[in-house]
Amino acid sequence: MSLAAIDKREMERLPLSKAPLRAGKGRFDVADGAIRLVLAACGLFVVVATCTLLVFVARVGVRGVFAVGLGPLLGGTVWKPEAKVFGGLPLVFGTFVSALGATLVGAIPAVLAAVWVSELGPKAMGPLYRRTMEIASAIPSVVFGWLALVHLVPVMERVARLLHGDPTRVGGEGLASSSVLLGVMVAPTVLLLSLDALGRVPSSLREASAALGASPWQTAFRVSIPSAWRGLVIAVFFGFARAAGETMAVQMVIGGARKLPADAFSATTTISTQVVMDMQNARPDTLESDVLFSMALVLLLFSVAMVLVTRLLARRASR
Amino acid sequence: MRARSLSGTRRPGLAFETGLRRALATAAVSLAAFYIAGLLFLLVRGGAKLVTFTSFASPLSGIEGEGVLRFVVAASLFGAVGWGVTGLARAVLAKTGRSSVRIDRALSAVVVAAAIVGALASANHLPRFLISLPSETRAGGGVGPELFNTVYFAVLSTALTLPIGVGAAVYISRFARSKALVSSARVALDTLSSLPSIVYGLFGFLVFVVQMKAGYSLAAGAFVLALLNLPLVVSISEEAIRAVPRELEDASTALGATPVQTTFRVTLPHAWPGILSALVLSIGRVFAESAPLIMTAGTTISRANAYSLNPFRGGETLAVHLWYVNSSGLSPDRPEVSAGTAALLIVLVGLTNLLASKLARFGGASGTRSRRARG
Repeated sequence: MSLAAIDKREMERLPLSKAPLRAGKGRFDVADGAIRLVLAACGLFVVVATCTLLVFVARVGVRGVFAVGLGPLLGGTVWKPEAKVFGGLPLVFGTFVSALGATLVGAIPAVLAAVWVSELGPKAMGPLYRRTMEIASAIPSVVFGWLALVHLVPVMERVARLLHGDPTRVGGEGLASSSVLLGVMVAPTVLLLSLDALGRVPSSLREASAALGASPWQTAFRVSIPSAWRGLVIAVFFGFARAAGETMAVQMVIGGARKLPADAFSATTTISTQVVMDMQNARPDTLESDVLFSMALVLLLFSVAMVLVTRLLARRASR
Repeated sequence: MRARSLSGTRRPGLAFETGLRRALATAAVSLAAFYIAGLLFLLVRGGAKLVTFTSFASPLSGIEGEGVLRFVVAASLFGAVGWGVTGLARAVLAKTGRSSVRIDRALSAVVVAAAIVGALASANHLPRFLISLPSETRAGGGVGPELFNTVYFAVLSTALTLPIGVGAAVYISRFARSKALVSSARVALDTLSSLPSIVYGLFGFLVFVVQMKAGYSLAAGAFVLALLNLPLVVSISEEAIRAVPRELEDASTALGATPVQTTFRVTLPHAWPGILSALVLSIGRVFAESAPLIMTAGTTISRANAYSLNPFRGGETLAVHLWYVNSSGLSPDRPEVSAGTAALLIVLVGLTNLLASKLARFGGASGTRSRRARG
């Protein structure tokens, strides 16, 4: 066999599963087969558990949708489980507006900060910054919620008084507080994901840009960001989805009023807040409980849709 | 040349660009400073509750396992301190070039001795906050059972995540015969990692509380947390397994080992630090998670079995306690209890994070096995 042929065989190494079960004698080992079976069962478990989860939640959720009707459930503005009136619009509105606010307050600035750290800032800054954000992203969300309840809500109340001058109608709890809280919560994660995305841009692109006489700013905004944009969009999407799914921290600052808010400083609610609060009162297998599963299903479908979009983006990015 | 040095060497750009750059720099640095300040604030605000040892011996309140718990808490406290101090000593000795195996062993012995002696001496003088029961209405409640439950949850859910997660990772990266199963497992993991935690909570509630009529239990919560952590553990373990140099596996195969032998004697030992770091990260998430636990393990602490190892009882964790105290607690010292709980959570999460990054550094091509082999 020529050397080139050996090299070629070396390069297309066989995967382990194709290698002979036992070199030499062809005796089938029972333990070996059992271990392979257990490993395959682990892989299968992941699929089965996920399907079970989706089917269980969807089955109850769909029952709730059929009982109330999709139109009233998503379009109705009154949520009163005790009167069997289920209008989910305030919940959906609260969820998406808070998440949108969080994207504006937290995710977009985080992406810009990541651009500075990875493209413009001093080199020694990178690891330190990353370390800080790793720890910040691991802080439990209830800790954020408690801090916001104690320190952010009073500030927001003062802002509301300043804007309205009417102390009776407005308070600190509401969409403004929850947006800022969620923004602070998702920023570290978005920043880390953005740093990863920018780190994947080949440095030859930046060097070429610099060789053409571009300033660092021009290189960052005309070369690095355009080549990393899919990763950056995925990071922002991730932040949005995480903000939309957050539960306990939001529950502490949103106020819990089951109606559409008059403005950013009046109490309202979100899907996850309402689910976790009402679930404590709702008896299982009643309409009240089923409808909560329907609202959770809305959240679930939304996050699955996000996954599909990001997978599509990621596949294009890797091509 | 590395691209990072571009900013230092290129022409500065137009005047407005420099201005914008400065603005961006200020914003980015103050963002990091904001988080650092927040963390320090949390530690200072609640730290006192965690380190005020009592001069009198706090009496046992007659709950089963309380004495053991005190001993373990004290031992881990002093063990951690000893570990930190000897770690510093090791670093200094390594710098001065005087480290040896004998000194290393002596230092390890010092850690163990410090833990045992400290625990024996101070098990009954621990900060009251760490060992006493929570109180709904009166001031002075602690988080003893919550601390126990939090750690117990970490153990229970890791016991489920470790075999299933690593098994799935090994299957996907090494033994997958059917492409359909691999791609559907990937889709499943992607879906799992994107689900809001409240959905996990509802699932656990539906299966364990409604269908099995088992009531709120730690086992239900641990199962839900294990499911929640699967995507993280599988993806990091898979990465660690793929980072194992192929030469090692080929050598093992060449010596006549079966694929299964190769996997368990060569691949997994080599990928072990990476897998451990995944597990530690997932433990950090167990500490932090609250919504699914409220729906599966409840928000109560029962005096009778506060420190019981029975996984079929309910119980709250530190994170759930922090929420519960602020949403429906009535005790007058709520701010103090919250601050202490938050500081304790930050310490726990920070330690797991530190441990995970330390372990991750051992992983990959510079893993323990190959370093040992090189001497």
